Formats: sequence, structure tokens, C-alpha cells
Amino acid sequence: MDLEVRNLRKTFNLSRKQRRIEHTDEKRRVAVRGLSFEAKRGEIYGLLGPNGAGKTTTLRCISTLIKPDEGDVFVDGKSVLKDSMGVRKNIAFLTNELKLDDFFTPNYLYDYFSRLHGVDEKTAEKRKKELFKRFGVDKFAEVKVADLSSGMKQKTSIAISLVHDPDFIIFDEPTNGLDVLTAKTVVDYLLELKESGKAIIVSTHILSVVEKLCDKVGIIIDGELKVSGTLQEVKAKDAKQDLENVFFSLVEESGGADRA
Amino acid sequence: MRNMWVIFKKELFRVLTDKRLVLTVFILPGLSIFLIYSIMGEVIGRQMTEDEIYTHTVYAKNMPESIKHSLEERLTFELMEGEYDKDTLEEMVREEEVELALFFEEDFEDKIEAYQAGSPIPELIVYYNQGHQHSSTAYNQFMGVMNAYHESIIRDRLADPDDYHPYLMTSENFLDERTVAARGIAMLMPMLVIIFLFVGAMSIGPDAIAGEKERGTIASLLVTPTKRRDIALGKVSSIAVLSFLSAISSFAGILLSLPRLMQFGEEMPDMGIYRIVDFVAVFAVLLTTVIFIVSLISIISTYSKTIKEANAMIMPFYFIAMIIGILNSFGAEPNQSLWVHFFPIYAPINALSGILMFEYSVINLVITLLMNLVYSGLMVYALNKMFDSEKVMFTR
Ligand SMILES: Nc1ncnc2c1ncn2[C@@H]1O[C@H](COP(=O)(O)OP(=O)(O)O)[C@@H](O)[C@H]1O
Ligand SMILES: [Mg+2]
Repeated sequence: MDLEVRNLRKTFNLSRKQRRIEHTDEKRRVAVRGLSFEAKRGEIYGLLGPNGAGKTTTLRCISTLIKPDEGDVFVDGKSVLKDSMGVRKNIAFLTNELKLDDFFTPNYLYDYFSRLHGVDEKTAEKRKKELFKRFGVDKFAEVKVADLSSGMKQKTSIAISLVHDPDFIIFDEPTNGLDVLTAKTVVDYLLELKESGKAIIVSTHILSVVEKLCDKVGIIIDGELKVSGTLQEVKAKDAKQDLENVFFSLVEESGGADRA
Repeated sequence: MRNMWVIFKKELFRVLTDKRLVLTVFILPGLSIFLIYSIMGEVIGRQMTEDEIYTHTVYAKNMPESIKHSLEERLTFELMEGEYDKDTLEEMVREEEVELALFFEEDFEDKIEAYQAGSPIPELIVYYNQGHQHSSTAYNQFMGVMNAYHESIIRDRLADPDDYHPYLMTSENFLDERTVAARGIAMLMPMLVIIFLFVGAMSIGPDAIAGEKERGTIASLLVTPTKRRDIALGKVSSIAVLSFLSAISSFAGILLSLPRLMQFGEEMPDMGIYRIVDFVAVFAVLLTTVIFIVSLISIISTYSKTIKEANAMIMPFYFIAMIIGILNSFGAEPNQSLWVHFFPIYAPINALSGILMFEYSVINLVITLLMNLVYSGLMVYALNKMFDSEKVMFTR
């Protein structure tokens, strides 16, 4: 059993402030409407969709940060609703928005999260060495996060999210806002993780990320999964095998659903 | 439970290794209280000694020698040479060039001695300026002299000197030095301590919780397999310990500056009047009150999206605590009725004054301590629910 998203549905109540900002009268917004897909070990699944499509909401449900209204997610057979603690032990949630407390050093934060995950000290120490070396954090291990470059911050936060060596890795917009070099390090690392048998889900609104990274892809628009399958299968929807064409025709079909 | 410790240690590390925070949370409160009180004591003291060594300028026309001698015993002064008219002296007293101007009628004393019923009585005119401290002192001392003079004349005029006493009065003062000193301490301390507990918790709590939401670091904590109860307890206990340390700093400032503040007062408060049980009781009240205040501030900080919002929402509670503290320091007796001990903040302040004045019942103390813990327990339970609520953690 790998990772299964089953009929996921999530609705938000819109605050008055949010209604004003978005010029809308609706009190509730269905962010995700009945989403189902599967992600397998040794594969990268890409959720491709425009802004506001419901990607972050889906990934947050998978990571147990928010609870679905309907449906469920099973991570290695464990339900996010019934056994969120069990899910958390074996999952990592990364995002380009994931901030680190400025005051601490990568070294301190790594140890802190290792302890929270209950990793024993010897294993933690060994893994820290590897991860820090892999990302070049080792030279900055004792520098406060506040003084790190933004690329180094992102690499640190990846290392720190993986202290417990989880089998499932959820990454929201992995290359967003990163410089080309850091973005390449991240992409390479995700491919490495895939090779080592992890199940990975990424979300993105950038077509090239999907092309480079993903084995399977689901196109999500307005909270619904329009197509899902291997990259080849999805590309086959277009006569020229062009992912871009597939994507834009789906966006057009649903009335250019970019809200944000 | 282990993760509670991990969080606890991290929060402590965060504050204790930050020089700026150590300064503002632990050193500044004690130091500023110490300085303010010491300066206050210094100013009061200086004023008192200054009155003693200051040479007052007095103008006196026709002043009888006996009165002059008596005044010399009570006031340091120099008599002005020469003669001036009343208008000039009025001006000089107004301008604070002269502290006291006395115009005795010619042969003042002779006229009093020669007094017969119906004969005219001699006149005395006094100019002074109450708005001017030295003038006011000179006047008061002069009035002291004149009251005694007045009394001796009346006594001489009576046929039988015993007629002067319409009644016989003896009063004895059973003043207990202990209560006077205790009152002084009980007035000030509860208010200051509660205020500093709040200030301490306010400088750490919002940053530790609302700050994590504002910076976006809370999500990394929430995806770890950490029980929400451990997060709540880890945060509350670390903030409580730090606030308590901060309060102790203020407390030390009060204690150290007390002798300097009170050095010229009548009674000098001395901590030696309290027994060990009193200290234990104070400590217990403080500890449970810290937990209460920190829980309250944690709830507000968790509910808020930003540090700024949290601080704004804590303010009203801070003011309420301050008002209760100030009202208490106007020092009526501690309220002994049972029901008031169920009120948060009021009860501990009241209990602290009670303990410090040796007027408290064990049952009231127990209720105060228990209620602090019960309210805190409820709030920590709510906090635990809040950390699990996506509405609280991820609202836009
Ligand atoms: N906490 C929230 N409260 C209210 N509305 C939300 C919340 N989170 C997301 N939404 C709304 O749900 C929709 C999907 O958002 P999101 O999942 O962030 O999209 P994406 O990540 O694909 O850009 C958007 O319309 C967004 O405004
Ligand atoms: Mg998003």
C-alpha cells in the first residue's frame, strides 16, 4: 500500500476580510471537490494546476495539517483522519513558504526536529552529516538562519524536513522562488529520493517542472482532477504530444479558472 | 511527554541565549525598578536634609527676645538688617527672596503682660508663601513657637493654673512595628509583582506562539508526530518559567531598593518580620498566578495571527490587572469573604496583601491557589484544542 487520495473534498468558510480582498459575496468556497489519485513508491506524482486550483489544500490534507470534509487519504494504509499521528511519522511536508526560525542555526534546528520525530541520537548525527553535506549546509551549520542566503535557507529547510527519513514526501511548489542553481539541486535531489524508493508528490503551476520531474501527472483545475495518468498518457491527449496544449485546452474548457 | 521537554528546552534556549531578550526580560525590569526607587528615596532624603541645613531669611520687626530664642531652636534662619515697609516685604515674600516676614506691634510683650480685661490687644502680622517649600517650613516652625507661647500666656492669666485643663487625657500607643512595616510592603508589592508578571509574560508569549504563526514556522512543528497537548504544555511551561524569572528580577529590584526608598520614612520595612510559611504562601500564590497569566496570554497569542495583534488583545487584560492592583494598593483591608476568592487576578492580589499583612485564612488561600490551577488547566485544555484546529492555525 502506498499513498491513496480517495474522494477528497474540502470547503473553507471565507472570512469577511477575504471576501473583501477577493471581491466576492460567497461565504463558502469549495477548494477541492472529490479528488482521487494514487502515488507509488519509486515514482513522482505531479499535481499541475493554475493558482487557486486547490493544490496546496490537497497537499495540506495529505500532510494532516487540515482535515478533509469528505473522503480520506491513506498513507501506507493509515488514514489521515483516524491515525494522523501514524501518518506524521512517515511523511514530510515541504513548501517554498516553509520558514525557519531566524534565531536558530541549522545545526540546532536539525537536532530539534530530530528529537521531535524521536530519531535516536546516533542515527540523527549520521544522517545530519549526510544531508548537510549533500546540500552544502555543513559550512553554514553554525550560522543563524537569519544570516543565510535564501537558497541556503531552502536547502536547510529541506534537510530539516527529512530528519526522520520518511517514505512519503510532499512538496508544494518545489522550485518556486528559487534561483536556478538551488532549483537544480532540489530537482536532482527529488530524483535521487525517487530512485531510493520514496513516494513523492509535488504540486506546481510550471509545466517544465512536470516534464523534468514527474512520472505521473494530474491536472487540477478549480478543485477537480481533469486528467490523471503517466506523463505519456496525459500527453497523448494532444495530437502533438504537447503537455502545454493539453493543459491550456483543459483550462479553457473550464472557463479560464484562474481566480488569484 | 518527551516532546513537551524538547519544546520547553528550545523556548528556553531561544530566550536565554538572546542578549537583547535577556536584557529586556531579566535585567531591565529589576534594574529600572531599583533605579526608580533609589532615585525617589534619594530625592525625598535630599529634601529633608536640605530643610535642616537651609538658612531661612526672616524679616522681623519688634520681635521679642523670648520668641526669637524659641524660634532659633526650631529653625535655622538669618534676620534681615534694616527696616522695610509692608508692601516691599509682600513683594519679597512673593518673589521668594524672604521666607517669612513678622510684624510685631511695638512693645508686644509688655502690652501682653499689662493686659486687663477690655484693654486693646497687640497685633502680629505674618507674611509667608505656602507655595514655596522653605517659606512653608519656616511658617510651620514659627506657628509651633507661637502655639506654645500662646498656651503659656493663657495659663498665666488663669487664677488657678489647673483651670487650664478642662479634662485629663492619657493616651498610649500600642503600635506594633510589625504591622506598620507589613502594611507598607503589602501596599506596594502585590501590584508591582502582578504588573511585572504580566510584562514578563507579554514580552515572551506573543513571540513564542503568534510569532510562529506569523513567521510560518508553526506548520513545521504541526507536521511532526507531536501531540498537541505537548505543544501546548511545552509552550506554556517555558513561558511560565521565563516570566517567573522575570518577575523575580523585578522582585529583587523592589527588595534591594526598599531600604533606599524608606530610609527617611518612619518605619523601615524589614523582611525579617515574615515567617517561612509566609514566604512559602507568597511563593505558591505567585507560582500559580504566573501559570494563570501565562495560560491566558498563550490563548490570546494562539488565537492571534500576528505578534502585534496578540499584544493589542492582551492590553485590556493588562489594564484590568493593573487597575485591580492599584485599587488594592490604596490599601483597604484584604477582602475576607469567601466568594471573591473565585475571581482570577483579584483573588491572588488580595491573597498576597492578606499574607503580607498576616490576615489571611487558609481556606481562602487554598481556594485562590486551586482556582488559579483550575482556570489554567481549562485554558491549557482549550489551547490543546486550538493547536489542533485548522481554523485557528491556518485562517487567512
Ligand atoms: N484557509 C483558507 N481559508 C479560506 N480559503 C482558502 C483557504 N485556503 C485556501 N483557500 C481557497 O481555496 C482555493 C484553493 O487554494 P489553494 O489550495 O491554496 O490553491 P493553489 O495552491 O492551487 O494555488 C482558493 O480559492 C483559496 O482562496
Ligand atoms: Mg498553492
